[in-house]
Amino acid sequence: MVVKNFIYMQDIKFALYAIKKNIQNSAELKTSFLMNIFGMAINNTAFIIIWIFFVKTVGVINGWMASDIVGLLGFSTLCFGIILSVGDGLRRLPDLVSSGSFDRFLLSPKNLLIRIATSSFGPSAVGDAVFGAICLIIYGILINATLIQVLLIVFLVIITSIIFLSLVIIIFSTSFLFIDSDQVTTGIFNFFLTPGLFHGGAFHGLMKLFFTFIVPSLLVGTIPIEIVRDLSMGKLLLICVLALFWFFLSIKIFNKCVKKYESSNFMTFGN
Amino acid sequence: MKAIRLTSKILKTLIKDRMHYPERLIVDTLSILSRFVVLILLYSYVYKINGGLINNTTFVVAAWSMFFYFSFMILNLRRIAIYIMQDVKSGNVEVLFSKPISYIFYRFWWQIGLGLYSFIIITIVGGIALYLAIGFPSTFGTNIFLFTVPFIFIGGVILSLIIYTIVGLLAFWLEDINPVYWIVDKAVMILGGSYLPVALFPIIMYKIALFSPFGASQFLTHSVYDSWQGNWYELFGIQIFWIIILGLVLYFMFKGVKKKVSVNGG
Repeated sequence: MVVKNFIYMQDIKFALYAIKKNIQNSAELKTSFLMNIFGMAINNTAFIIIWIFFVKTVGVINGWMASDIVGLLGFSTLCFGIILSVGDGLRRLPDLVSSGSFDRFLLSPKNLLIRIATSSFGPSAVGDAVFGAICLIIYGILINATLIQVLLIVFLVIITSIIFLSLVIIIFSTSFLFIDSDQVTTGIFNFFLTPGLFHGGAFHGLMKLFFTFIVPSLLVGTIPIEIVRDLSMGKLLLICVLALFWFFLSIKIFNKCVKKYESSNFMTFGN
Repeated sequence: MKAIRLTSKILKTLIKDRMHYPERLIVDTLSILSRFVVLILLYSYVYKINGGLINNTTFVVAAWSMFFYFSFMILNLRRIAIYIMQDVKSGNVEVLFSKPISYIFYRFWWQIGLGLYSFIIITIVGGIALYLAIGFPSTFGTNIFLFTVPFIFIGGVILSLIIYTIVGLLAFWLEDINPVYWIVDKAVMILGGSYLPVALFPIIMYKIALFSPFGASQFLTHSVYDSWQGNWYELFGIQIFWIIILGLVLYFMFKGVKKKVSVNGG
């Protein structure tokens, strides 16, 4: 089994084409498509409501104010939305592996990872992306962001998206290792995602280290907010290094896990 | 008699199934770890820097209130909406309608059975761990607490099942119920006292939590507070009121659903 390690121009062209077709396909069911987007945007406001009430009741913790919570959710939901809308296929990996449908991806001459990621589109994640973008605009207005801070926000959205993508690849690659992988990957994914939606100021000491370096949940929301707020170049360098580390690690883990796949997982006897 | 046999069969089968696949227990444990344990650690820090008291509520009380919420969530009753939607989309609902059993009660017991094993294990282990870590609130020793908790829990289960079944039945009219499901689910999450315990709610939000069906389905989280000793009957009344009202809505909705479905057989 040979897994392509490099991404060529033709792979990118194919990915863009697949994404375009997926969007057109989803948009066919117009009502459902729009309801998913707006429903998810409303759904996300729940976290803002909770944490703003938390700040009002508890007060400012470690310099974190209500505006920072808006920014935190902006980063988390925007990178979630970007990655899991165009790369929704990664979330379907457990199902593809357990049903044996993964065979057809292996037979494709395209880059395997891109082929899987762009095999499906998540309309509800577009709602996350829209919500995240609005939150970041509001955050910028609330903190009277300077030009440097605006550029930092844009740059950090790219970096956090890379980190988020890497973690999604790692988590869903474990589909090749477990029997009931759908349940397991969902559990691990929630374990990674949830702390990133919590009030960033309340993380301190060992817990902050754990959720920065071991399970990098804080890299997709809390740390970017601290970088924008404090204009911390040290943390900016750290997050860039960690993004590269997680990205290369994810590709390595994915390639290793794919080798565990056994064709004919599902005995259909040619049916 | 038939109904009791069916119920016990469903519960036994699903508990055996869950015991056979320990991965699902691991998933539920991870879910509790990622939410509750992290939250408890955060709140312990927040309480520490606020002198141990927020809104006249101690950390121990807030922690147990949140534990009750997350423990209840392990039952995963909300998924009944998704299973009903899947039944409708796959056409399985036709098969189930043609059987000599009540579809709604079958789905109720199925949903309870799916989460029961994880709920029992995690609640016992988590409860012991939390007791060893922070102890019990003083209210736990009172007769009112011991007598009322089972009833408010059962009321919460019934009300949750009714709310999410209503959402699920919307699948007969809507292409995709997910957006409605998310909104209802988040209303329960906010008003039930998940990430922010009920005692820390601002007054307006507390009133909404008290008088809405979403908050009423999670009244179990109120039982740890001192105020429970004086207002438990009021909260019981509100919960029963919503069970009756939404139960009637469900009844008439299901009547409409039965008219909408035509079982065509093979």
